[in-house]
Amino acid sequence: MSEMNIIETQNLTKTYGDFTAVSHLNLHIKKGSVYGFLGPNGAGKSTTMKMLLGLAKPTSGSFHINRKSYPKDRIAILRDMGSFIEAPAFYGNLTGEENLEILRRILQLPKSAVADALELTGLTEHRKRQAKKYSLGMKQRLGLAGALLGHPPILILDEPTNGLDPIGIHEIRTLVRSLPEKYDCTVLVSSHLLPEVELMADDFGILNHGRLLFEGTMDALKRTAENAGLPTYNLEETFLSLIDMDNRNRGERI
Amino acid sequence: MSGTRVPFLQPFLETRKLRRTGFCPAFLGGGLLGALVPAVNMAVRAESFTSQSGSPFRILMDANWQLMAQLNIFLVVCGACILYHTEYADNGIQKARSLPMRPLCLFLGKLTILAVSCLLPLCIEALSLLLCRAHWFSDSAGAGRQLLAGLAFELVLLLPTAAAMLFLSSMCQNMWISLGAGVILVFFSSMLPQGSAAVALMPFASPYRMLHQFSGREALWMCALCLGEVLLFCAAERIYHNIRRCFS
Amino acid sequence: MKNEYRPLNLFSLFGVEMLKIRRSGIFWILLIPAVMMWLPSAMNANVNFLVNPFDISPEHNYFIQGYMGLAWFMIPATLIVCTVLLSQTEIRSRGLVKCLTLPVSTAKLCLAKFLVTIVLAAVQLVLSIATYYGSALLASKLYAYDFLLPLSYVCRCASLIYLAAVPAAAIYWMLSILIRTPIFSAGLGLASIVPSVLMLNTEIWYSYPPDYPFYILMTEYGRIAPDVFGAEIQLIPMLPIGICVTVFSLAIACARYGTAERNSDSL
Repeated sequence: MSEMNIIETQNLTKTYGDFTAVSHLNLHIKKGSVYGFLGPNGAGKSTTMKMLLGLAKPTSGSFHINRKSYPKDRIAILRDMGSFIEAPAFYGNLTGEENLEILRRILQLPKSAVADALELTGLTEHRKRQAKKYSLGMKQRLGLAGALLGHPPILILDEPTNGLDPIGIHEIRTLVRSLPEKYDCTVLVSSHLLPEVELMADDFGILNHGRLLFEGTMDALKRTAENAGLPTYNLEETFLSLIDMDNRNRGERI
Repeated sequence: MSGTRVPFLQPFLETRKLRRTGFCPAFLGGGLLGALVPAVNMAVRAESFTSQSGSPFRILMDANWQLMAQLNIFLVVCGACILYHTEYADNGIQKARSLPMRPLCLFLGKLTILAVSCLLPLCIEALSLLLCRAHWFSDSAGAGRQLLAGLAFELVLLLPTAAAMLFLSSMCQNMWISLGAGVILVFFSSMLPQGSAAVALMPFASPYRMLHQFSGREALWMCALCLGEVLLFCAAERIYHNIRRCFS
Repeated sequence: MKNEYRPLNLFSLFGVEMLKIRRSGIFWILLIPAVMMWLPSAMNANVNFLVNPFDISPEHNYFIQGYMGLAWFMIPATLIVCTVLLSQTEIRSRGLVKCLTLPVSTAKLCLAKFLVTIVLAAVQLVLSIATYYGSALLASKLYAYDFLLPLSYVCRCASLIYLAAVPAAAIYWMLSILIRTPIFSAGLGLASIVPSVLMLNTEIWYSYPPDYPFYILMTEYGRIAPDVFGAEIQLIPMLPIGICVTVFSLAIACARYGTAERNSDSL
């Protein structure tokens, strides 16, 4: 494992019956970076993140997080990670503040951590309201607040801007961008929109049908696209062409 | 749409909604559980029953029907909860209510399904009683006729409970409330005095009654009154639906 | 801060789990059966004056008959609804998925939730005693007869009944984890109540833990009315079987807790 990489996967594969969700994935996520994990719906982004969190067992391959691995170091890995997977998880009968209080107690953080996370995600004024009465955007923010609680060294965020309005998207994007500098943490953030991730990530991994099509910086992506004869004037176009090319190749392979 | 033109098709449409809800396995499992009651009871304490004089069916029913009927009532409670929970869980009822069909059709469709479904556990239980009779008792004259009459009688007696429980489930969006209320009603009905004629007719209490406790004329009256109760619950559902529409 | 981290112990986790049931309405599930049991008893307390073949005093008869409904039906039913509600809250809110991504042992989480069930049963025990005294007081006023029994006697009997419900609680907790469809785990649990009276009348009553609370009450009935039932609690084999069933059910529950969330194939 390279010194620089905090997360590394080696031929990580996950199959459900005869369906391969993730195939021989080799990710290299640098410490202190924001890593944008891109791919259309169903590409295997959430499955990869679930494997990193110990929520799904890899069919084959392995991965290391901060030189630790599952299941031996499960507790040690999870205490260093904040996560937000798929949809926000919360207890509707509790207020936003109480929901975070539960996480705070389990993580054994100081009491100020809850107020801090509420402040970071702009939920302070709604903290006393029951979570079931939150709007979609507020629920999303609550999920994010849970992930950010105690400023963990590694953050795994699965489509964190889903359901947010343009102002909310901008706020979250700015927040994620600022995290490595502010709290010295590494962020793995997934999205199905390249322009969205482009504004916050240092490195990118593009996934389609469980296979990694590209990994590297934005400049490297542009160079790869140029070499392949794909359009580079618009990043969304580049991304769509890359996926389209892979789908065509895949069709031929099948 | 078909609900408007051919209302009797509604039960068939309703059965489609029950796919993968576990409704059928529940009734099958419930029936098997009910069928176990006389078998276990006879296996454990056969002598105390075989030594009694009188019709074997009567002995078997007297010894086991309280428990079997209670299981059947629980099944009806759970079945009614499942039937309306599929509507409320993902707001399917909103779509159903926005379709051009009479609101009562939904209720009647579900009632038909629940009534037909009750036949499954009743048949399994009847088969179990038949086997117990054949295995532990020697007298088997007229078994088939007695069994069929008993089966039909118990089915009719279960109908008011089914209608009442469906009415309750249609009112409660939260399944836990209808289930909780159903369980409490099951409990209190089992505590009611057995001899009273009024109690014998009450939903949740009527299924404990047995055909041999009544004369032929009384049994017919019981059936007629139970069917009348079903009509009453249908009317109540209709009225509730109109009221709900005014206030929602 | 991070270096000092030690996974939470069971009792701290229990505190967290208790926090989760705020405003869940679970208190009413505990209170309503207790009130519904005792209020009609107070209204019909005069039936205890009728001559009964067992030569039992009206106040004892009042107490035993009231707790009979609780021990046979209401305690198991409450436990079933509470266990299903507790596990469904986690499933529906995706709270369990979140918990699985936290540095905490799933087995401890599962046991902490079972402890919550036990505490809820203890709360209902207190409520049942309080409502018993409330109703006995009302009955005493209505029929000008002292229906009140000494507190120590009532507490001892009621506590033993609830203590005997622990193995059944463990079974119901296991069922609520193994069967994820709420109506089925509740339905199967409720169906298990039905044959408990039948089982109690057989030689092998001890093999069916849901009938233990009723058994304890019946032995008490036997103590004050010797012809009704055996007066001695047969701790052997009830106690070892009860312990084995509890440990076995909890072991399965802990092993299976969260496995569905881990094996989910949603992408």
